[in-house]
Amino acid sequence: MVRVPVNVLVVDDEKDFVEMFSLRLSEFGERVTGVYSGQEALEALKKDEYIDVVILDIKMPGMDGVETLREIKRHHPLVEVIMLTGHGTVDTAVKGMKLGAFDYLNKPADFKEMKEKLEAARDRKAQHEERIRQAEARSLMRRGGELY
Amino acid sequence: MDDESKIRVLLVDDEADFRRPLAKRLIHRGMEVFEAGGGEEALSSLKELPVNVVVLDVKMPGMDGIQTLEAIRQTDAPVEVILLTGHAAMEDGLAGIKAGAFDYLTKPVNLEHLAQKIRHAADKIAARKAKAREQEFRERMEQQMAATERLAALGTLAAGVAHEINNPLAIIGEAAGFALMLMEKPEAKQLPFYNSLMNALNKIEQNVKRGRTITHQLLSFARGGDDAVVLKETDIVDLIHDVIAMVNREAKGKDVTFEVESTANKVYAWTNPDGIRQVFMNLLTNALFASERGQKIVASVEDGENIIRVEIADSGCGIAKENLDRIFEPFFTTKPPGSGTGLGLFMSRGIIDRLGGSIEVKSKIGCGSTFTIYIPKVSKNAVVREPDKHWLEAAKEIERSNSHGSGAR
Repeated sequence: MVRVPVNVLVVDDEKDFVEMFSLRLSEFGERVTGVYSGQEALEALKKDEYIDVVILDIKMPGMDGVETLREIKRHHPLVEVIMLTGHGTVDTAVKGMKLGAFDYLNKPADFKEMKEKLEAARDRKAQHEERIRQAEARSLMRRGGELY
Repeated sequence: MDDESKIRVLLVDDEADFRRPLAKRLIHRGMEVFEAGGGEEALSSLKELPVNVVVLDVKMPGMDGIQTLEAIRQTDAPVEVILLTGHAAMEDGLAGIKAGAFDYLTKPVNLEHLAQKIRHAADKIAARKAKAREQEFRERMEQQMAATERLAALGTLAAGVAHEINNPLAIIGEAAGFALMLMEKPEAKQLPFYNSLMNALNKIEQNVKRGRTITHQLLSFARGGDDAVVLKETDIVDLIHDVIAMVNREAKGKDVTFEVESTANKVYAWTNPDGIRQVFMNLLTNALFASERGQKIVASVEDGENIIRVEIADSGCGIAKENLDRIFEPFFTTKPPGSGTGLGLFMSRGIIDRLGGSIEVKSKIGCGSTFTIYIPKVSKNAVVREPDKHWLEAAKEIERSNSHGSGAR
């Protein structure tokens, strides 16, 4: 079975972390983009419409993770977001999930757990997209019935 | 109390004819009276008898009253002394008071006066005892509070450090993980020192995990008021069986058995099951660690009106007296490096404190340790939450992953 890579956007102000995390994910076969702030994340999402999942650090200077999440969900509701937290900021992660984040990961994350969550997030996005396609098709069919 | 408030008099006079009737009459007034025929005898009686007031004749052959009084004062026995002086021998009385007598009476003695003086002297002793007790109590409280504050400060500091360590730790972990992935490629097998490199990288990865366990435990402690904790109806007995099932394999390896005693089949509390599970896990793992081959660990649950008492007792090596005060401090451990974080009991105490309960320990070297936990049936931070289903699901998810991520190790 050919594995379809997940398009991931990694957002963290710790550049070394983004670099290493991205390298590892790429090595595993995912397609990874790394950015270092919420602002850059939003720009990247605007440019690249194929991004499935955003892995988002909660603690960042400037626009923090929760704010970034809110913006992402506003402009790209289908993109799934996994929050990256220090264990101490789990409360924030819960808040994030209330705002529509798919899940959260404790930092330093367990790679296996991370991969599972990543794929689950991608699958949910695919399901949503599929449902939208079907809904669109149905509405097209209905409209078609009226036309002819 | 009755025993303590009883007045015990030592009557010291060389003249038995004077002493005997006086003693009888004091006994008649509800006092317990002992007699001594001289200073030396009085001093040796004081060592053995639970006397609180000494009635002392000044004029005695050999060691006189004043000398005896001075000798008594040097023993710091908790007694008051009333002197009996000869008629018109006021100097003796004054000298006695200077030497530390409670008061003096002149002979012939009015019994009413003497009885009253004795009572006053006894009151003074009682007041002094009460004051000492209060002082001791206050000192103990202050010590406890200082210890609690110190623990809290240590916890906050440690959590702050943990947070800062977490990011570099994550980077090290990712870098090592990436390097290990590269090492799996066939061409990497050709590298010189391949085995040494693999060994080193594995060590890095393992120890990042070890570090992560510590930082996560500390950080989850620092979460304090913890919004993510979900309280629910929990069967404490069931929870203990759960945890025993988890550690049973290790116990079997050591030939240690568990026994659960309970006043009821099910003992319910409205509490934080994951927190309590972690506490049980820590205590049972510690008990297991302390136990020797063939020994038994007994967990007993006692259902109370408002509080559930859980006791976990081992008959293992015990905790040294000088360590007993320190076992709840973060990073205090007697296990070899790498086998314990020194956070288990610290965390446990934090969890129990937050639920409004308490944890105690008794231990004797060579006889074992007993930890007693008091869990309130309804936890103090049992807040009624808005029925937000999505939120609850999220919280449950967090609960689940917490219990995996930061269990006792």
